[in-house]
Amino acid sequence: MKNTRTLIQETTKGIIERNPIFVLCLGLCPVLAVSNLVENAVYMGAAFTFVMFFSNITVSMVRKIIPEKVRIPCYIVIIASFVTVAGLLMQWFIPGVYKKMSLFINLIVVNCIVLGRAEFFASKNNVVRSAADAVGMGIGFTGALFIIAVIREISGFGTFYGIKITPEAFKPITSMILAPGAFLTIGFLIALFNYIKLKKGNISE
Amino acid sequence: MLRDKHLTVTVSPHIKTDLTTEKMMWTVITVLLPVAAAGVYFFGIHAGLVILVSIISAVLAESLCLKIMRRGTAVTDGSAFLTGLLLSLCLPPEIPLWMAALGSFFAIAVGKQAFGGLGYNIFNPALAGRAFLMLSFAKEMTTWKTLTRFPDSITAATPLNLLKEQGTDALMTVYGSMPHLYKKLFLGNVGGSIGETSAVLLLIGGCFLIARGIITWHIPVSYLATVAVISVFTGGISNVLFQLLAGGLMLGAFFMATDLVTTPITKSGQIIFGIGCGLITMLIRVRGGYPEGVCYSILLLNAVTPLIERFTKTRIFGTQKQ
Amino acid sequence: MKISFKGGVHPPENKHLCKGLKIKELPAPETAYFALQQSIGSPSEPVVKKGDSVKRGTCIARATGFISSNVHSSISGEVIDIKKHPHPLLGCARAVIVKSDGQDTPCGSFQESDFSAALFDKNKILKAVSDSGIVGLGGAAFPTHVKLNPPAEKPINTVIINGAECEPYLTSDHSLMLSSAEKIVKGAILITKAVNAKECVIAVEKNKPDAIDLIKKACEKYNNLKVIAFNVKYPQGAEKQLIFSVTAKEVPSGTLPMDVGVLVQNVGTANAVYEAVVMKKPLYERVVTLSGRGILNPCNWKVRIGTPFRNVINAVGLSGETVEKLIMGGPMMGLAQYTDEVPVIKGTSGILVLTKKEALPFKHLPCIRCGKCVEVCPMGLIPADLSKFVSGEKTDEAKEIGLLDCMECGSCNYICPSGTNLLQYIKLGKYELMRKKNA
Repeated sequence: MKNTRTLIQETTKGIIERNPIFVLCLGLCPVLAVSNLVENAVYMGAAFTFVMFFSNITVSMVRKIIPEKVRIPCYIVIIASFVTVAGLLMQWFIPGVYKKMSLFINLIVVNCIVLGRAEFFASKNNVVRSAADAVGMGIGFTGALFIIAVIREISGFGTFYGIKITPEAFKPITSMILAPGAFLTIGFLIALFNYIKLKKGNISE
Repeated sequence: MLRDKHLTVTVSPHIKTDLTTEKMMWTVITVLLPVAAAGVYFFGIHAGLVILVSIISAVLAESLCLKIMRRGTAVTDGSAFLTGLLLSLCLPPEIPLWMAALGSFFAIAVGKQAFGGLGYNIFNPALAGRAFLMLSFAKEMTTWKTLTRFPDSITAATPLNLLKEQGTDALMTVYGSMPHLYKKLFLGNVGGSIGETSAVLLLIGGCFLIARGIITWHIPVSYLATVAVISVFTGGISNVLFQLLAGGLMLGAFFMATDLVTTPITKSGQIIFGIGCGLITMLIRVRGGYPEGVCYSILLLNAVTPLIERFTKTRIFGTQKQ
Repeated sequence: MKISFKGGVHPPENKHLCKGLKIKELPAPETAYFALQQSIGSPSEPVVKKGDSVKRGTCIARATGFISSNVHSSISGEVIDIKKHPHPLLGCARAVIVKSDGQDTPCGSFQESDFSAALFDKNKILKAVSDSGIVGLGGAAFPTHVKLNPPAEKPINTVIINGAECEPYLTSDHSLMLSSAEKIVKGAILITKAVNAKECVIAVEKNKPDAIDLIKKACEKYNNLKVIAFNVKYPQGAEKQLIFSVTAKEVPSGTLPMDVGVLVQNVGTANAVYEAVVMKKPLYERVVTLSGRGILNPCNWKVRIGTPFRNVINAVGLSGETVEKLIMGGPMMGLAQYTDEVPVIKGTSGILVLTKKEALPFKHLPCIRCGKCVEVCPMGLIPADLSKFVSGEKTDEAKEIGLLDCMECGSCNYICPSGTNLLQYIKLGKYELMRKKNA
């Protein structure tokens, strides 16, 4: 299959058309875990985009010299290196946040989106395209996480980025910050995504 | 001449009973109206508002979902009205109105329509709504109103709460004697959810539905019997009547556990369903963290309904049971 | 023995619509249409050709194959054509068309003679039944001579004469029992003799007390006959349910009543057997209930086979209410007709003209799994699951949970509160299975 996308399209496809969360439904574990606060979501998104960007580039660069049979371990090693870099950077600049989120940052190593893009895209495309793809996926992931987190934080805590914004009479809906709230939010957003796509008439791909 | 007229050609049979789904729904609603009225009588006007808001929210949610999903069924079938009414009956009378509305919306939009609408939902929508509210607003859902209208009502806690937190002695101190407690439980003059106070109205309503053939006796009888048997073992004979009359058991056994859509289709399956509900209810009441377990027991059994059905196939005439 | 079968429904009987149970005789039609397919099995082959003249009782078509039956003319006149004509079961099928000469000349005397069972042996009875083209008159129209001749390794112990008539509206068997109790009992004795059974039971539902009295009186002279009155419940008259009620034996799934040593015949068939064997009269007329609120004066008619429905209906006229459906048979299992040109066939037990009020169009809602269909199914099936499997094109799964055990009594469809056409799906499933098997 010949890739006919322009570089711009390669970037933007990750935001709506192939959004990693709403369309591909990949990497949902960190989404469930960190999306109850906008702050967490933003940091998670940033770390994810960082790892995604560099691992995609690296995998693309070495794609011709990695033996077919051991490619997955190789990808993991590459991704793990960048996760470690991201973790060390966070520990240096924002130690408070890292303390809270270290577990989920480390889990990016086995995140299906990063691994999936390495396997399906970076290992088959050149460096520039892979970088564009990583940026698109990173924005798509962060954006989706942000939307979910906004909904969950406002309804579950009554705050936005830690600032109280709801009226006194509103009692936070506790279930929204628990796992069921995440599933419900994601479910409804996926439904909304499909509905919009259905309206536009392009359900394929 | 017949030939000149329009003759309808269909597969047999050509006649049909007049008991339709709509009729069944509206009959259940009619039976529940006295229960709702009793709730308003005992708890005051706010309880009435909760019922009203809950129903309106359910009906609105249903029409919205039907419109968005372009489903063929109509709101007038009464199922959404019934869900809203049932949900409000198992809410505490003091709950803020917007919470009732939210619970009702959740019951219809998530508990029912997200699964495919009328006939396809896995969980009893009203109980799904209640579980959602319980998870979200634990404090508001367990704050019980003091029955100030009646001078001899002293406590804000439900009898089951008292028993759980302070034991039998506290129950005796508050209510005086056992017969006094039973009388109150039976007639409805106790704290609790809007619709679960008066056991006698629920009993009459349930029996009426059984007599009209809208529900069958299998689930209520097996449910209540299981609760009765276990309460003998856990607290002796004197415990039985209390466990049967207190809390949401009557409402649950006659109106929630008998929801047609979410319970087994076979009679033997329904009996297993009732026994399972009874076991889990008593497990939660005796050993669990909550004072009452009717809601969760029914939801849990809803989840295993397909499994129960698989193991309770009917025997086909002229074959041996495997 | 008298036990109740599982399930069943109590639809409004509406049997009172027929005012009086006296059978009136309908005049022979101007033109009669004799469908060549009168019974289950292969169609018979005409032995007359265009231009031949026939008499009342002349055999016009012969049986072909094992399960098939003879057809006789019910009027005297001339064969004007053999061509396709509307058929109450098949939509359209080949028929012999006879134009009446107005004489109504019979081909024999058809006189009653002295009756003694000793006069007739098995072969004589079988031959008479086969020659006279007798089929089951309850509705299914299975050739009677085949039923009376079971394989030697399957002896018949009990003969059940079915006078239950559990279908609402229909009173044709009831009125026949009132007018010809004696003939029915004698026919029953002939059938018992033909299959060499030990006992014979005449089963009647309790809503026909006068018929029960008459039959009991007629039975007094014979010792191996007994009459059992059953409580009213649809489908009491269904073969397997009736056998269970009488003998407490369940006919195993996929087998026939003769596998449990039972033979079931309708009262009308017993009457026809008597007429064929003793009076040498072929089956060319039968009692038909004309009822429904669309009919001015519902009653029972003795109708010649081949008479168009229109002639029967015109004999009394319509009541003027909006007609919704024209049905051959009862409202539970009968077939809706698209035209009143279809002729009466041997299996026509009733002609119903139903108004809009009686046969409401069904309003379809999703199944709410109420379990009522499971409760009423006399075969112990789960109709809701069957219909769901079939509507999802999973006929093989449906077969596994008993699709082929369904006898299409319609109880589930009658009771279903959501108006699901369960039986339509079940019939479709059977059809699909048949198609798959033949493909």
